[in-house]
Amino acid sequence: MDRTSIEKRLNDQKDLLSNLVKKAKTNGIDQVEIYSSYGYSEDVSLEKNDLNNCTATEENMFGIRVITEGNQGFIISNHIPSLYESIEEAYSLAKSQSTPDFDLGLPEPESIQNHFNQYDPSLDTMGIEDLVNSAKEALGWRNDLYPKVNIDSGDFSLSKGYKLIVSSKGVMAHELGAELSASVMGMGVDGDLVGSFDYDSASGFDKGQFQTLWKKAFMNFGDKCMGALYAKPISGFQGKVLLPPEAVYSFFLGLFIGSLNGTSLRKGKSKMAGKLGEKVASPLLSIWDDPTNNSFMGSTGFDREGLPTSKKSVLTAGVLDTYFYNTYEAKKAGLKKSNGSATGGAQSLPGCGPKQLQIAPGASAKDEFFKLPGKTLFVNRISGTKDGASGDFSGVIKGGYLLENGEKIPVREVQIVGNAFDTLNQIEAISKEGELLGESSFVPYMLLDGFTITGVTEE
Amino acid sequence: MRNLLKECLAEESGFVELRYHHKESRSFHAERGRVESTALRKRTGVGVRVLEAGTWGFASTSEISKSSIQNAIQVAKKAARLSSALRKDKIPHLPKANFAVGDFIGKGIEDFRNRTVEEKLKLVLDIQNAAAKQSAKLQSVGCGYSEIYEEKAIVTTDGADSFFSMVRPEFRVSAVAKEDGKMESGSHSIGVTGGWDCLFRSQSPTEISDEACKTAVDLLSSSLPDGGLSTVILSPSIVGLLVHEAIGHTVEADFVLSGSVAQGKIGHRVGSDLVTLCDSGYSEYYEGAGGSIPVDDEGVIPTNTVIIKNGILSSYLHNRETAERFGVAPTGSARAWEYGDVPLIRMRNTFLVPGESSLDEMIANTKDGFYLDGAKNGQADATGEFMFAVQKAYRIQNGKITELLKGVTVSGLAFDVLQNVDMVSKEFKWDLGSGHCGKGQPAKVDAGGPYVRTKVLLGGK
Repeated sequence: MDRTSIEKRLNDQKDLLSNLVKKAKTNGIDQVEIYSSYGYSEDVSLEKNDLNNCTATEENMFGIRVITEGNQGFIISNHIPSLYESIEEAYSLAKSQSTPDFDLGLPEPESIQNHFNQYDPSLDTMGIEDLVNSAKEALGWRNDLYPKVNIDSGDFSLSKGYKLIVSSKGVMAHELGAELSASVMGMGVDGDLVGSFDYDSASGFDKGQFQTLWKKAFMNFGDKCMGALYAKPISGFQGKVLLPPEAVYSFFLGLFIGSLNGTSLRKGKSKMAGKLGEKVASPLLSIWDDPTNNSFMGSTGFDREGLPTSKKSVLTAGVLDTYFYNTYEAKKAGLKKSNGSATGGAQSLPGCGPKQLQIAPGASAKDEFFKLPGKTLFVNRISGTKDGASGDFSGVIKGGYLLENGEKIPVREVQIVGNAFDTLNQIEAISKEGELLGESSFVPYMLLDGFTITGVTEE
Repeated sequence: MRNLLKECLAEESGFVELRYHHKESRSFHAERGRVESTALRKRTGVGVRVLEAGTWGFASTSEISKSSIQNAIQVAKKAARLSSALRKDKIPHLPKANFAVGDFIGKGIEDFRNRTVEEKLKLVLDIQNAAAKQSAKLQSVGCGYSEIYEEKAIVTTDGADSFFSMVRPEFRVSAVAKEDGKMESGSHSIGVTGGWDCLFRSQSPTEISDEACKTAVDLLSSSLPDGGLSTVILSPSIVGLLVHEAIGHTVEADFVLSGSVAQGKIGHRVGSDLVTLCDSGYSEYYEGAGGSIPVDDEGVIPTNTVIIKNGILSSYLHNRETAERFGVAPTGSARAWEYGDVPLIRMRNTFLVPGESSLDEMIANTKDGFYLDGAKNGQADATGEFMFAVQKAYRIQNGKITELLKGVTVSGLAFDVLQNVDMVSKEFKWDLGSGHCGKGQPAKVDAGGPYVRTKVLLGGK
């Protein structure tokens, strides 16, 4: 599968979907939107320090949304010959409802300014043989550099495809994409000692970019597994935690960003309701959403509804600047139109959220965080739970360290509890350095204070 | 479908496995007095797996035709040959298995087909409307019904030849309560393999809704428990999470081969005498367990696998490849989520066998501890360290339940927790049927058991 054949498929499909939408209109179905997601991928998987499987998959999924008289029906299908029947089925689902909301409607088209066709032609000369070679190289790194790290699973993937949206309102947008990606999961094992599992991943637009990032990710994975191998239980304490970028993004910040979702706000489930323009976090924290940066993997010119994306400020020095809206939620909030923040793909109805968050770096050197006096818990990863409404989170620290008097002691059986909204104001320092997570979102290290840390040993 | 697949295999030599999978998921959700979403998801295709030159190759197609399936077989073979040069540990052959042959039609399918969309929409809307009126503190109540209907045909060149179908309905209510700027949420959900009657056999939709709303409101006046190592009585839903997360994952044979804490422990004591743990494709004690499967995704009839017998580790969970490596019979534990997924070793219904105590006796015998109820989520590690989250923790003092506390994360080392089990109840319940397990791909599972008393690390203030 190469770029030419994918473009041909895309062009044929534009015609097909436009004709289906026209046919539906002729038959009295006025509001139809079809979101198509096509992907072809070749994968090589690892298991137990060995190659496991080679796969080739191809699929085209369609998300069909029909709105009629204030009601909405949604069908997801991978069967092209019966797409028109699926439109009728979605219409029937909408008609069977008795609770209309006339704010529901498909958006009018808008001009898309940023065009991303992130498909590097060099990927057309690559195939499963190259993935097998990458797998061989990674197994070599493991054997030579990390013999005590067991690779439980891993995956190398070359994927190509497109997304396309067509609606009866005249929305028509598409983007091609292709990337190389890899991930690895495993743990350190030394005799009877087993460490906590860890993982890492990388992706790139071309072979050179991918290879550089993947090697760095693999070494990071190996170091994390080895670091967790000789972990010890500790006693609990009240104090500071140090979050690396992954932990900042995946756990602590996710709850806050979720509370800016237009749906949560409308349903009264968000603690951030009514806080626009107010200080909700430490003045050290500034965040923006930027899907328009051509060099990032998650950039896109249009959202799940085919509307243009844009750069927007979320938090400036702790003051809340914006919420995230799709067309429906914007209307419910009294706005004229959405802010291009509809999320999702063919397999989901449009949600609300950011595309590519960036967190402003701070003024501190991250190495200084590791030399603080007293006790600091370095939280590599939290295996736990979080509650969107209350903001409460709790979990077990995985691959973490107790930083004490310049020492770095790997820990196990340690729990942390907190509240994400309180935590926003517990930020003591943010590092200058950070990481581009998923080659997409810049996130620095954060030092926070005032946490309850539960351990199993007595002081 | 079986005939088409067999036709595709007619000229094949070597091992080829064809898995046709059609899946329809319907979901209906009501909130704030209206139906917020209705969705139907249909996905169909054939997954092709070959074993060639000592390694696996896999391809899939969404086009159900002889030529397309045969093309996928060739793609899979090419992929296998390409990887063979690198794979060190070749798979010489797969062991014989107790293959399923024939049609296996699940219970409840007619029931689910005969009920209209309107009936299902009315259910979520009525329950949501009634629930929202229960308390002025309820900020939001959401009610959802969903069902997954699946049919599969699995045919292999070495003897599997079956068609099976099943339906899995689920019902869930989530509530958010607010008071003085504080917000708390409560949720309750059930799921079964079977029809509508099976779904609501133990609890009516109203009872499920009442429980979710009450949890959200009650938690407004709760505080965090004191953190630390504590004696706990676990409800069946929590026992389900415990045995799934803490033990089940560590005994999946692929994870064992990667070095999980269960490696080399067959025949060793890993729990107290009171602990007998099983994972079954059937629904022991009563029908409807959410992870039931008549046939696994390698075409093997699943067993009731006794993992721990009276505290002694006795078996891992196997697919055909790991069964060959360990020299045992496959347990029928290979499962794939969609046609485009490769089958992995997964749990089905995981449960602890009931004991002889009663819940009342267990509470009366606990001087200082917690009763934990309401499963949320959980994860396990290769080390045997697990965590699971609970909605509610009730303090037990001098044999009586006292205040309600916020449920938090509970953790421990799997085998330590089982060694510390000192009371197991007579009562039994499947209580994780609305749950999905993640391991690279989702799987519908269930888990449950009796009430159990043990020691865990409770996160808290």
